[in-house]
Amino acid sequence: MKRALAELALLRALETGGDFAELFFEDRVNNSVTLRGGKVEEVNSGRLHGAGVRIFQGIQSIYAYTNDDSEAGLLACAARAAAALADKRQIAAVSLAGSVPTNIHRIARLPGDVKNAWRAEYLRAGHAAMQAVSPDIKQTILRYGDGDQRVVIANSEGVFTEDRRVYTRVACTAVASNGAENQIGYEAPGMMQGAEYAEHLDFTPLAKKAAEQAVRMLHAKQCPAGVMPVVIDNAFGGVVFHEACGHSLEAEFISRGISEFEGKMGQRIATDKVTAIDDGTMPNEWGSLNIDDEGTPTQRTVLIENGILKSYLVDKRNSRRLDIPVTGSGRRESYAYAPVSRMRNTFIAAGTDDESEIISTMGDGLYAAKMGGGSVNPATGEFNFAVSEGYLVKGGKIAEPVRGASLIGKGSEILMKIDRVGKNMTMGQGMCGSFSGSVPTNVGQPMIRVTSITVGGR
Amino acid sequence: MDQLGLFIDKLLGKATASGIAKAEAYLSRSDSYSSEAEGCVLSKYEVNSSGGLALRGLVNGKMGIAYTEAFDDDAAAMLIERVIENASLIEDTDEQFLFEGSPAYEKINTLAKTPGGGSEADKNALTLNLEKTTLSLDPLVKKIEQVGVSSSHSEIRIVGTSGMNLRHESDNLYAFVGAVAQRGDNVQAASALRIGRDLSDIDAADIAREAVETAVFLLDAKPCESGAYEVIMRNDAMASLLGTFDGIFSAENTQKSLSLLAGKVGETIASGRVTIVDDPHLKTGLATRSFDDEGVATYRKNVIDHGKLTTLLHNLKTAKKDGIASTGNGSKASYASAVKVSPSNFYIEPGEDSLDTLCGKMGDGLVIIELAGLHAGADAISGDFSVQAKGYRVRGGKKAEAVSQITVAGNFYTLLKQVEAVGGDLVFPWGSTGSPSVWVGKLSAAGV
Repeated sequence: MKRALAELALLRALETGGDFAELFFEDRVNNSVTLRGGKVEEVNSGRLHGAGVRIFQGIQSIYAYTNDDSEAGLLACAARAAAALADKRQIAAVSLAGSVPTNIHRIARLPGDVKNAWRAEYLRAGHAAMQAVSPDIKQTILRYGDGDQRVVIANSEGVFTEDRRVYTRVACTAVASNGAENQIGYEAPGMMQGAEYAEHLDFTPLAKKAAEQAVRMLHAKQCPAGVMPVVIDNAFGGVVFHEACGHSLEAEFISRGISEFEGKMGQRIATDKVTAIDDGTMPNEWGSLNIDDEGTPTQRTVLIENGILKSYLVDKRNSRRLDIPVTGSGRRESYAYAPVSRMRNTFIAAGTDDESEIISTMGDGLYAAKMGGGSVNPATGEFNFAVSEGYLVKGGKIAEPVRGASLIGKGSEILMKIDRVGKNMTMGQGMCGSFSGSVPTNVGQPMIRVTSITVGGR
Repeated sequence: MDQLGLFIDKLLGKATASGIAKAEAYLSRSDSYSSEAEGCVLSKYEVNSSGGLALRGLVNGKMGIAYTEAFDDDAAAMLIERVIENASLIEDTDEQFLFEGSPAYEKINTLAKTPGGGSEADKNALTLNLEKTTLSLDPLVKKIEQVGVSSSHSEIRIVGTSGMNLRHESDNLYAFVGAVAQRGDNVQAASALRIGRDLSDIDAADIAREAVETAVFLLDAKPCESGAYEVIMRNDAMASLLGTFDGIFSAENTQKSLSLLAGKVGETIASGRVTIVDDPHLKTGLATRSFDDEGVATYRKNVIDHGKLTTLLHNLKTAKKDGIASTGNGSKASYASAVKVSPSNFYIEPGEDSLDTLCGKMGDGLVIIELAGLHAGADAISGDFSVQAKGYRVRGGKKAEAVSQITVAGNFYTLLKQVEAVGGDLVFPWGSTGSPSVWVGKLSAAGV
């Protein structure tokens, strides 16, 4: 992308009265290889390519995108966006100052440096490891996927910057079946790294873990329904905070007045055990960035400190609306989406409680060793998520495994019911879907305990 | 010929010259519009034009695939190189196909009467009108989650070296309202959506009324007592449940041990009251098309006929494996994806009863009007679900108090067998999956 063309396109975008214009160019190469039952079943490679033009006038946001980023194509796209506004005005020239952000995520081996044959070979050991777990394992699906995204971002405030984001993820799915019933186990770690991520990953134990989960859940009873104390373990357990609270702290919901945390800045929204952080700067983590998709350097944002609400997640448009600074968390799946405030690596910080005490003092309840996905309605705070591996706790002791459990509640209520926060914070990887598409995010937490929550089951 | 047509011709020529025995280009393009309103202005407005192309090629009997959104010589070279590389890695021994075309294709009009379904000015006006109407209906509704209109004109082309050359164009238009009702600290949100081809298909007042009434009704909602309840899934909730589990009818899933319907064709798998239809020719359908993503002519069929599983859904590969013909359900999740299997317009055939009549027949139980978190709380492989739900109690056959903050749990395979009655109120609430209200028998609910 040439600077002169960017300047021209921004001028074109501002011709009808916009007070801010932005260009986003993307070129991304993806590769994926899938083994099913130990055989290479699907290999796919491709290139996403396009540009988006965004214009603001006050709180109005206009967005247009195209695959055609030739000079004619880009100027036509800018003009099409500008046509949404009716003013005419003379604009001073837009002058862009180039800058390259500091790269905090070193990549050792780019996806382009390995072949799909290498990816396929890499996955093979996983199949054998899963099958060895039990004859109940009737299907294995292993997937290696990576992406190499280059972006250039320019705006009428003079920003002209670029970034490269490299992602690698491997996923293991095991299906255990007794003919009448199927259960699955799943592990899917990833990082903002190239092929070195896979090379350094202890892959077969991971595949084994997925298979063991499937077998355990095949032989588990249905979880009983009711209201009970629940302990949620670390890593992907952080999805609880992500759904129950994280989305409701995104400025897109706050500025529309449809978040249960609107107007709560500086107030207590969680017990004092809870400190929650959304950090885009963690080196090579799945949800990390150098700059966000609006060209702002990313940052570490303390959302909740000892129970007190400290910050929202803020993108440019909502920064205007709320008159608070951006937090470097404007994100989008691709050029086909206008960016909004999104989560990055979001976690409850390590606390001081002893993990074994957390369980031994809970009485009867549910231990959620592993969480599945979930969703939230920020307007009401109502959330739900699935427990993918659960155990009943009886008299402070972990008892038999149970399946089919789900947890529901309201974000503002669950945060006030967290009475224990363990010491060992770890993170898990997910793809988070919202207004601006699906973006890689980490969730994380140490083990936490919620004094009472509605558990769905049978 | 247009630019993309020229690109495809050149690409297929080069593919053949590079030793790819058979090749096929799949192009998907769309021009789209969307707008949202907030504070009596158009707060968001989008106009887009984009597309992508995937090349599939058979090399030594194996299928390679690669895709691009750039359309230049470099892109063409990359596609061919990757198709050859990727094909060489495939170990799956199932026979692969690139189709040569069906003898005839149904003619179906899926275009709007006016280009884009209406002028941009009219669509903008509808968006503003939706906001205004929503906020005028009830003093308890002062906030809006989202209101807007979106439309798209889409095109799919499949061109093969065998001579197949298919093109499909369609217009779709959506209008949606998410209303937020508040009384004191009690907040409830509800949304409503309508789909059509033209603006004239959309009744703004009706969408706003539905969202507002539901949000206000739910304000007093509380969890019910935990226990087993007779349950009616209202039409929209049942459609979302059916959409979550429609993969069990895919032969790809039965062949890969991911569906428990393997070997069940011809057997009774549901209550005799259940007939499920896959109709790619439905006039108003979102998935209406005369050919599938492999170019096979599509047709209407009952998948379950009065409780009996009459067929699974197939593409060319799964059909060959089962020794039958494709059912025209070859499907790509996006232009870039490999061909899998999915239903077209897929719905439970309606009966006669209104929802009120069903409630009268049920006597005592729950009507579920919304299920949330199906993507996480439902396991398409086991059929188990345990998901957040809202609705109301039915007592003495009549609508009683509103219920929220509960979960309902069950198993989809079991539920099909348990169906007690099927209503007459068929809707397609969010897309190509439809259902009437269905009394599904007993499910367990967790509340207080």
